[in-house]
Amino acid sequence: MRLIIRDDPQTASKYIADYIIERIKAFNPTPERPFVLGLPTGSSPVLVYQNLVQRHRAGDISFRNVVTFNMDEYVGIPREHPESYHSFMYKHFFSHVDVRPENINILNGNAPDLEAECQEYEEKIKRVGGIELFLGGVGPDGHLAFNEPGSSLKSRTRVKTLAYDTILANSRFFGNNLDQVPRMALTVGVQTVLDAREVVIIITGAHKALALQKCIEEGINHMWTLSSLQLHPHPMLVVDEDATLELRVKNVKYFKSIEKVANELGFRQMLPRKRDSVVGDEILPAPLPQRNGLQLAVPQQDMSRSASPVLEPMSARISDEEANLQAMDALDDPKPIPMSARVVG
Amino acid sequence: MRPNGTAAHAERSGVIKFTNCLLVKGKELVNDDLWVSSATGKILNGQEILYGQRTAPDSIVDLGGRILSPGLMDVQLNGAFGFDFSLIPEDGAAGYSKGVQRVNRNLILRGVTSYLPTVTSQRPDVYHTAVPYLGPSGASRDPSLGSESLGAHIEGPFINPAKNGIHKIEVLQTAPNGISDMLTCYGASNLASPPVKLLTLAPELPGALSCIQSLRERGIIVSIGHSDATYEEAKLGIKAGATKITHLFNAMKPLHHRNPGIFGLLGTESSSISKPYFGIISDGIHIHPTSIKIAWNAHPDGLILITDAMRLAGMPDGTYDWTNGSRIIKKGHLLTLEENGKIAGSSIELIDCVNNFLNWTRASVPEALKAVTETPAKMLGMEDVKGTLKEGADADLVVLDFQVGEVGAEKKLVVDQVWKFGVKVFDRE
Repeated sequence: MRLIIRDDPQTASKYIADYIIERIKAFNPTPERPFVLGLPTGSSPVLVYQNLVQRHRAGDISFRNVVTFNMDEYVGIPREHPESYHSFMYKHFFSHVDVRPENINILNGNAPDLEAECQEYEEKIKRVGGIELFLGGVGPDGHLAFNEPGSSLKSRTRVKTLAYDTILANSRFFGNNLDQVPRMALTVGVQTVLDAREVVIIITGAHKALALQKCIEEGINHMWTLSSLQLHPHPMLVVDEDATLELRVKNVKYFKSIEKVANELGFRQMLPRKRDSVVGDEILPAPLPQRNGLQLAVPQQDMSRSASPVLEPMSARISDEEANLQAMDALDDPKPIPMSARVVG
Repeated sequence: MRPNGTAAHAERSGVIKFTNCLLVKGKELVNDDLWVSSATGKILNGQEILYGQRTAPDSIVDLGGRILSPGLMDVQLNGAFGFDFSLIPEDGAAGYSKGVQRVNRNLILRGVTSYLPTVTSQRPDVYHTAVPYLGPSGASRDPSLGSESLGAHIEGPFINPAKNGIHKIEVLQTAPNGISDMLTCYGASNLASPPVKLLTLAPELPGALSCIQSLRERGIIVSIGHSDATYEEAKLGIKAGATKITHLFNAMKPLHHRNPGIFGLLGTESSSISKPYFGIISDGIHIHPTSIKIAWNAHPDGLILITDAMRLAGMPDGTYDWTNGSRIIKKGHLLTLEENGKIAGSSIELIDCVNNFLNWTRASVPEALKAVTETPAKMLGMEDVKGTLKEGADADLVVLDFQVGEVGAEKKLVVDQVWKFGVKVFDRE
């Protein structure tokens, strides 16, 4: 787990935006091989989107070959409703950038068959080769997407009933009328997020401090679904100082020192060449080392550090291909010819 | 779900996205994008286009932070670019039709995307020839035709001889027999909507009140003007169905505290009548700026800026022949008679009216633009089609550069681009 601490929400958001842009550029996506990006809604990510839009307008980044998947959407409110996540994404991101409309994926909370909609969503993610980077936020109760306390850590995209706390919190967006607040949502599961090759979470504000503490300093717990990231090979939490209020000083200093040392030595997040995601067994060339943007400038020095080992059963290491190759070699061996054959006639 | 490259983008959708601009929405300038279709000529719902139709814009127009407003509307224009809507040229109807087309093509270059061509008090034969050419001209939705007539504004001759202004007294009439007198004057086929959208009359004249009711039934909006009506008489006009005042303050009784006259209609609303819309000529000659501010404060949602300009509007400065052998000197938008220096009408452009209004009243830019977009559209009952950036409205747009000088200096809106039915028809650059 990497924890990046910045002074305020602005710099934390800028760090993430720069990081995502760097990732997309390094991936060098094409129409045939798009970069697949998971996206959240909520107040914390707004600044991240602002930064992304700004960089796009400046001509620094194109999203033409980026496929997006959103985390969640309410059930039963019109797509045009100002509080729908479709509207949020349109307002803050999609209307300002060049993501192709056909590459935008948001769960349809008005689908006739909600379960089928969720299954199809998982299938869609698989068909594009899995999510490369999932950007997320977190709720004060530690929820990841709409995976509220008690959600299965193995869950996949599904219909979810919202916690009473969430309904209360959301009522401010619906004229303080509890009857107007959607009670259900479609959401990607915890496992859907964990399947992504990389997970980046933005956490800002003192009200998120407890959730961060539970995720960093305590064990994996379904009551704080964000803590499931401890099982992910490449999670990164980007937080502001306020969000660290509940952490031990020692731990805050530790994570700060890690970032400092890493920067001094010239490496940051390093991804293995082998894709960890359960979907998409294809080997994608992850560009190494990561090039940095201006803000994150580090020396060119390539101090490669060993990647996290990919844990697989030993049997998986003997692939069928290798077996075939051995067989071929055997066939190529010169055949012993009986001496009698040399005698012509 | 793999994106399939260029195939989906082979055919052009005609969708245009304006970005990096300030949209005029209500009382705010909102930093937002606007999506329009050059195919249908209408304003689109960007979100629906994106999620519903999965269409990306063909072109993205970066306005560099400038203001994007609905196109300007002028509900009282007597002529421009050397053509007078009340004068049948020597070659008759053919020449008249060409003249109207010329006005349309030139007027749009000044940011006026729709207007009401206005005919002053004339003899019946003028109406019979002219009015058929002044009806709504936007049916073909062809941007190359220029500015669009929304229907004729007929000003007179059923007005009060005591407040005739520059209208010829000898052609003025009354309608003691009600609408039948009007039908005789204008021609039966002309007195309908279309071609006529707005009609100015004096409500205190015999038969006028019954005419107002009949005109409303024919879909024609009635405006009170060139009238000597008292407050009480004007109120009867409103009760009968009039909804507007033609160039408030001009050609009517001045406000007197014991006899407020037509201006009194802008007082407190009662249960029986609502405050009328009112035209204002903010050219600095016809009305004192303070009077404009008083009227605006009394009824901000009713103020409509008009030019009331005549045929010399849009023409270069110089001396021009006028009727009866007299000549008019045009300098800027000021027109004076050569022989005695008297004011001879207006030749101001609508955007200059907006700029005057901005500087005189301290109105915000959206408030000033409202007086030439949203408010006239509402007065005409066209608020869903014109004068708005709402989804489904016509994509008649102006790009305005807001030039704010030093503190105390005049503020100025400059028309940089004009779009008609989703197509750019003027660009200053």
